[in-house]
Amino acid sequence: MHIVFGGAFNGKRQFVQDRLTGQVDWYEEILPEASNHTTVTTGLEEWIYGQLEQGASEAHIVKQVQGALDKQQVNIHIWILTDISRGIVPLDPLDRQWRDATGRIYQLLFKEAQSITRIWYGLPENLKGDGWT
Amino acid sequence: MAGSELIFISGGVRSGKSAYAEKLIREHGSSERLYLASGQKGDAEMDERIHKHRRDRQFDGWTTIEAQVKFERVVEDIPEGAAVLWDCVTTWLANELYAGWEHGTPCVETEGCMERKWQELQMTIARIRVRASLFVIVSNEVLDEPIKDPSYQRWLGRIHIWLASEAVQAIEMESGLAFHRK
Repeated sequence: MHIVFGGAFNGKRQFVQDRLTGQVDWYEEILPEASNHTTVTTGLEEWIYGQLEQGASEAHIVKQVQGALDKQQVNIHIWILTDISRGIVPLDPLDRQWRDATGRIYQLLFKEAQSITRIWYGLPENLKGDGWT
Repeated sequence: MAGSELIFISGGVRSGKSAYAEKLIREHGSSERLYLASGQKGDAEMDERIHKHRRDRQFDGWTTIEAQVKFERVVEDIPEGAAVLWDCVTTWLANELYAGWEHGTPCVETEGCMERKWQELQMTIARIRVRASLFVIVSNEVLDEPIKDPSYQRWLGRIHIWLASEAVQAIEMESGLAFHRK
């Protein structure tokens, strides 16, 4: 499992698109399914927000993310994660819960990842491992 | 692109990005040091901040050019061979994106408006690079938190990606430390 991480609008998606070949399944704001193809999951933070909005507990959300990870076995699977951890603490309790849950789930994913590439305005930096190629 | 070296510096609030940029200009050795200021005067605190910045630079052979809007006008005021510092992209973008709001027609809501200004900005930067011997551009990190203003943040990301690709050096500042990303 590989992670491409960075702030919004930093060129993360472009970076991934430029480095993929063959058939790719994109999962936008939804958890990835088992697949023989390369899978790319984006907008996880939006999916988490939706879950919290519907009243799901963080423990339940973590369990689902772990389940999605366990389904991916032989294929290359990439998660594009958007950093939402900085800035002022939100006033809205749901927004605070969202930031906290997203941060903890990112920690879980970072631990599992073989490689983590941080993108800063299109420029990559290896935080862990060597990418997927 | 032909012309002077372009250096892009970005960092959070109080990361030391402006001080670092000023140091690069001072150490460059050009006798003309030019500061392009896009900060909008407004409240007393902002005015004081601007004045303090100006006093700090005044004794150091700097010339300040106010460039809140119509950035392209500054080009002809730039002496040949000057070392130029532009601080910063985020205020320029805020000024330009919302220009016209007082008449109910902010640029952001006018078809093609920001796209045109972006083309002009790229041209202005190219023209400044032809005249200057060093061009340092400073910006701010505002994309690592939940999206609050999508059009502003999308534009800023696009501009930063372009600047990072055009620059010979791209530097990320963290609490006074300069990380060379390129």
